[in-house]
Amino acid sequence: MIKFDNVSKTYAGGHQALRQVNMHLQPGEMAFLTGHSGAGKSTMLKLISLMERPTAGHVFINGHDLNRIKPGQVPYVRRDIGMIFQDHRLLMDKTVFDNVALPLLIEGYSIQEARKRVQAALDKVGLLSKERHYPVMLSGGEQQRVGIARAVVTKPPLLLADEPTGNLDPKLSMDIIRLFEEFNAVGVSVLIATHDLGLIARLRYRTLTLKEGTMVDDGLQEPVV
Amino acid sequence: MSLLFRNRPSSASGAKKNNLSLTKRFVMFFVHNAQQAVASLGELTRNPIASLMTMAVLGLSLTLPATLYILVKNTDAVANEFQQASEITLFLRKDLSDTQIQTLLERLKLDSQLDAVRYISPEQGLADFKQRAGFGEALDYLTSNPLPPVVIATPGELFSDPTQAQRLLQNLEKQREIEFGKLDVQWLTRLQAMQRLVSDVFVGLALLLCLSALLIVGNTIRLNILSKREEIVIMKLVGATNAYIQRPFLYTGIWYGVVGGIIAWLATFLLVWWLSSSVIAITELYDGQFRLAGLSFNEMLVLWGIAIGLGLLGSYIAVRRHVLSIEPR
Ligand SMILES: Nc1ncnc2c1ncn2[C@@H]1O[C@H](COP(=O)(O)OP(=O)(O)OP(=O)(O)O)[C@@H](O)[C@H]1O
Ligand SMILES: [Mg+2]
Repeated sequence: MIKFDNVSKTYAGGHQALRQVNMHLQPGEMAFLTGHSGAGKSTMLKLISLMERPTAGHVFINGHDLNRIKPGQVPYVRRDIGMIFQDHRLLMDKTVFDNVALPLLIEGYSIQEARKRVQAALDKVGLLSKERHYPVMLSGGEQQRVGIARAVVTKPPLLLADEPTGNLDPKLSMDIIRLFEEFNAVGVSVLIATHDLGLIARLRYRTLTLKEGTMVDDGLQEPVV
Repeated sequence: MSLLFRNRPSSASGAKKNNLSLTKRFVMFFVHNAQQAVASLGELTRNPIASLMTMAVLGLSLTLPATLYILVKNTDAVANEFQQASEITLFLRKDLSDTQIQTLLERLKLDSQLDAVRYISPEQGLADFKQRAGFGEALDYLTSNPLPPVVIATPGELFSDPTQAQRLLQNLEKQREIEFGKLDVQWLTRLQAMQRLVSDVFVGLALLLCLSALLIVGNTIRLNILSKREEIVIMKLVGATNAYIQRPFLYTGIWYGVVGGIIAWLATFLLVWWLSSSVIAITELYDGQFRLAGLSFNEMLVLWGIAIGLGLLGSYIAVRRHVLSIEPR
């Protein structure tokens, strides 16, 4: 599903954030990406979602080399990826409903066509009763779930989450992870970047570990303890 | 269709729309655009003062060229009148008898070079003078009428341009009864020069003001875009194309033009109304039966079109530069 082939990334300032990273995430797989702060986790997700381009190497999604994607095609690649952010990135002056409907409207759905799907997605994250609320009226965990509803409303085959549980207490964090598990159960590939090691320890998913831009553990070689 | 996943059904609305008939899709296109236009109108009301100010600047920038255009148009009309009927005033000798004058008039009327001949007797001239110049009382003290008999002759069409009229005048002056004649060629050439000046000023000013209107609309839209930076980033993250993000801003530009154009109409109307009294005062001095013609219906449409075009172009320039430059990081 996602393949990194000797990917390096050097930012404009000269900082090398990734060094020859190789990894392969299978279709339908769910995995964690971890590492210390500044290890390059977000950078990897940004390369997948084309917010950044690699300095060297190739990133593939479903066998397509992202280096071949022209700027005009970037929006269409992003429509195949559900992205979830630590800071939610919601439109503060739009209702929960409008926020979740946004990706559908962008794809050309009318509001009427979008309504059923939006409500299904909000139902999934348990926020159907708050569709008329504005994000400021919601708690951090609820805002995070709105972000998840927005990411899954188009039923993308791939979900990327950057610190989705960053500010949440362990119980809420687990709820969010359970949500991801539900999507994974229906075949969605999920990659979650986090440094919440406690959370990872409780779950037995494949864990990729970065250290100063190098993939020190891709979660496959490690012998089961 | 999905770019990366051949069988992904979720971009289904595309597939579904393919089944719609062409006319239905056409209607959908318009309904969709109308919805967006209305939505961006709603956006304007969120920032009413800034929006109104931009509209006012756009409208008022067009008012001056529009008013100048009206003046050019009217002087053209007046000048054409003068050119076609450039009259020759013939002052007759004072010692002519009535019969001599009548014979002269008969002769002039038969002259094929002249279109019309009008006689003003000294008495009539004095009466006109009293009425018009306003010093009736003073004229009462005159013991005898100092005015000569006058014939006003209009040259035929072929002799109406300044040089031909000049030649005609010279011929007429050779006649025994005519003391001298006067053709106001100078006034005509001056008028033509003025006309050229005014229309040059009009073109220059119109270009400059349109340019400044463009910059102001562009700047307002630019600020608009920058204030929505975060929103644009989010839309790009969830897969919005630049075209999709740009569209509401372009509609905003169009609305600036729509309202700005109406403001230009009203302001031009007021300005012309205000000018017309002084214009009438001038033309009365020249005995003109003259009304300042305002904008015709078609000209109003053109003015509106220019306003909308400027609004759209201004926002297009801003949008091209700034929406492209905002990228999620
Ligand atoms: N736009 C940028 N320009 C320059 N350097 C950057 C940029 N983005 C990230 N970096 C640098 O690249 C390195 C990796 O950053 P990245 O955001 O991928 O880390 P991370 O693993 O996500 O860390 P965290 O857990 O704190 O989010 C950091 O040292 C960071 O300073
Ligand atoms: Mg990060």
